[in-house]
Amino acid sequence: MSTGEKPVLSMKEAVGRHVPDGQELLIGGFAFSDPTALAHEIIRQRRKDLFIMKTSGGVLVDQLVGAACVKRVLSCHVWNSVGPVPAHCFRRALEQGKPHPIEIEELSYGAFTTALTAGACDLPFMPTTPVQGAGHFTQRTFLPQKFAVVENPFGGGPVCVVPPLKPALGAFHVHRADKYGNAQLFGPTGEMRFAMAACRKLIVIAEELVDTEVIRQHPEATVAPGFMVDTVVVEPWAAHPTDSYGYYWRDLAHHALYGEMSRTEEGFQRYIDEWVIATGDHAGFVRKLGAERISELRVRSKRYW
Amino acid sequence: MGASLFEKMLLTGARCISDGALLFVGFHWPMLMARIARRLHAPNIVIVYENGIVEDRLTSILPTSPCDLVAAESAAVCAGSLEALYMWLASGRVEMAILEAPIVDRYGNVNTTAVGPYAAPKVRLPGSGGGTELSSLGRNLMLVSASTNRRSYPERVDYVTSPGYLNGAQERNRLGYKPDTGPKTLVNPLGICRFDDNGEMYLAALHHGVTQSEAQGAFGWQIRARQGLDVLPEPTEHELNIVRQELIHAKERYYLLPEG
Repeated sequence: MSTGEKPVLSMKEAVGRHVPDGQELLIGGFAFSDPTALAHEIIRQRRKDLFIMKTSGGVLVDQLVGAACVKRVLSCHVWNSVGPVPAHCFRRALEQGKPHPIEIEELSYGAFTTALTAGACDLPFMPTTPVQGAGHFTQRTFLPQKFAVVENPFGGGPVCVVPPLKPALGAFHVHRADKYGNAQLFGPTGEMRFAMAACRKLIVIAEELVDTEVIRQHPEATVAPGFMVDTVVVEPWAAHPTDSYGYYWRDLAHHALYGEMSRTEEGFQRYIDEWVIATGDHAGFVRKLGAERISELRVRSKRYW
Repeated sequence: MGASLFEKMLLTGARCISDGALLFVGFHWPMLMARIARRLHAPNIVIVYENGIVEDRLTSILPTSPCDLVAAESAAVCAGSLEALYMWLASGRVEMAILEAPIVDRYGNVNTTAVGPYAAPKVRLPGSGGGTELSSLGRNLMLVSASTNRRSYPERVDYVTSPGYLNGAQERNRLGYKPDTGPKTLVNPLGICRFDDNGEMYLAALHHGVTQSEAQGAFGWQIRARQGLDVLPEPTEHELNIVRQELIHAKERYYLLPEG
């Protein structure tokens, strides 16, 4: 974390350099701006034993689990949001231990958001949604200290609190970035501003690299100041099949295709072979989608920026 | 053809929404209900989603989930989850919350995490998302279930994802949940359930054509029925027309619709 120019790496280089086996990694996105291109590269490089943190796991986490890259998942939700149909690999891993068992720890979305906010601000803990009596409160696996209850020091009864969460590495999809790492995300931001600030090391995956003068036109959209960012990756369509505000819509047909193919282990393997391995890189994936599909998904309405 | 019980459920939920209300709407059928309400009698509702989108008018396209960015089409506000979950919902600004409850028990506890033992689930489900916040923090919470299967209404859920009244309203109060939070109604294909002072669910009204014993048989415990159970008014032709238009729309948007 520093000022000045940042390395602009390809996805292949970024994964090679920053995501070794066993890496603790928070992946941004909340069923939109999910950096699927990152997951695909992790699968191509056959990473193992990752500790993946993601608020809404979606198809991205499902693929990492199915491809046997993951040892632990911390999440608040893992499903295919179109249909909705199940995240089949996630289910197979937890119900049948296939392709191998994974460890799961869960928070609610609010608890995840507040734990990241506490991490971002270096607070000792933070009040959160009351969850006493709920499953997340009683069921604890690899984060036995994920919740506590304290007495309100100012009077008024018990308060549920979360500890700060400071992921070792974060990787987030953004819309555009400059060479200093200033990263902009338009539209809704979910927990992403706090999540980015909570990470000890940060990679941004931008749809486009732009001049700093372009960034200056909308400083309010900068979700990560350059001094928080370590590495910039430029990867158009990185969030497909999820959506990217102002850039492209959610690809419903592709969500459905993946949902159907991943119903069986064999089908899932076929999806990975065809769409991840054979395509070679994300540019190859986009070529496989085809010009027609790309054109259908591209947002045409005028952006305000 | 007359309205199916599923169509009646969508309309009954929509009718519970008042025009001008500020709503927090969760994933799936609640989104469709709110859209139907907006097209019928409640054009001025304002909907907030967990990711920070504020939807204050009819979008041209039905979102597949709250995070489908067609919900943000020309939005006046796109904020984040701290705003949505805490500044708007927890603060009490949101007047009504609507949450899907595919498995719900006697005290309104909702399970969307796991059926069977947590460590070795028989059926693994998605987990909380913002569903815990809706039920822990939301005022005037309406639960929605499209199921009439007993397995969807056990006496006690295996995992409490979204806390209702836990083992009773006293427990919820004692643990520090804010007053006025907790489920107020459940809408399903059979009709409407409400919750008594102890937080126990009871049958309050039935859809036309559903008998009391049929309705009671869908629950995994001896659910009580209110004396003089109401029968909900049948959908008008106009209402049913809107519901069906939106179901066609939902299908085009890859929603899986119940059979029949």
